[in-house]
Amino acid sequence: MASSSKPLGWLALVLRIALGGIFIYAAWAKLRDPWELYALAINSYEVLPLWAVEVVARTLPWLELLVGIGLVAGVGLRIWSSITSLLLLVFFSLMVRAYAKGMQISCGCFGGTGDIISPWTLLRDGSMLAGSLVLTWLAFARRRQPAAPGRPVSDPNPASDRIPV
Amino acid sequence: MKSYAVALAALLPCLAASLGGVDKAKTIGNPSAPVRIDLFSDFQCPGCKAFHETLLPTLIRDYIVPGKAYIVNREFPLTMHPYSRQAADYATAAAAIGKYQQVADALFQNQVSWSTSGKVWDAVAGVLTPAEQKKVQALAKDPAILAQVQQDVDAGTAQHVPQTPTILVSRGKQQYSFPGPDPGNYPLLRSLINGLLK
Repeated sequence: MASSSKPLGWLALVLRIALGGIFIYAAWAKLRDPWELYALAINSYEVLPLWAVEVVARTLPWLELLVGIGLVAGVGLRIWSSITSLLLLVFFSLMVRAYAKGMQISCGCFGGTGDIISPWTLLRDGSMLAGSLVLTWLAFARRRQPAAPGRPVSDPNPASDRIPV
Repeated sequence: MKSYAVALAALLPCLAASLGGVDKAKTIGNPSAPVRIDLFSDFQCPGCKAFHETLLPTLIRDYIVPGKAYIVNREFPLTMHPYSRQAADYATAAAAIGKYQQVADALFQNQVSWSTSGKVWDAVAGVLTPAEQKKVQALAKDPAILAQVQQDVDAGTAQHVPQTPTILVSRGKQQYSFPGPDPGNYPLLRSLINGLLK
């Protein structure tokens, strides 16, 4: 188990640092500007009423910052990776919907004025979603691993079997 | 449109006392107002027509008339519109004789017609006297006027204007791009400007 978990551990480390860094940067890019610019990007998706757009624009960057720090810190990884996957799933679905409808709008990924939704932005966010799903799976994988031979199921120190994420 | 005309009439003294040269006539409001609004627009763009006819009067009522902001009209003819550059040239030429707003109103009002026929001049000529027509036709070929239009395009490109209309709201060193203003997102634009006014 230890031989296969080592590369997976490195993969998880790379994924959480990369995703954490991206989330922190995305949060900073939104928080440095007035919230109205991010709200404008959210509003252009035409899925939320204006009052909800304002709530999301004011709160989501802070959540992204929290998630980013959580991922980089590596503490409570199951929670942070799950939230990351959920967020990216929502973002990606909305981007696919907008692209399919032919909407020429900014994705809002890194603030109000940014890349117009295109195959490139879909590939970028799709890759992030895939990476996040892998990280979430890795974070939960240790629970599914059987106990090592000769070791009781309730091993008080199972660290050697864990993926070092 | 009526309220726009009334607001403009009220602002004429401000216009007279504002910037020199052509810029004076392309500016709405008092340039000493705290917030500057650069409006990048394309005469052939339907969104710009809608903005000009619906949101611009509201913006003038809320911010220009009370002296909180002033608007600088900037030409940003998109290459996808075959006649918008010509329209921008005429409008800028008309600005040189103090007729920018009248020509801009006429161009937007008759947009559907000249966009189809390509007869841009017909829309422009309608609001000018024969003497003014002569001047504007000559000025529209003047390299200085063409350079002025190009200056606006270059400024818009440098600011990464993603679409028309796009508003650039600024106060001092703070400058924010607000693409696609419309009545639906006007509360956001209002909040942004109010934030700059604090």
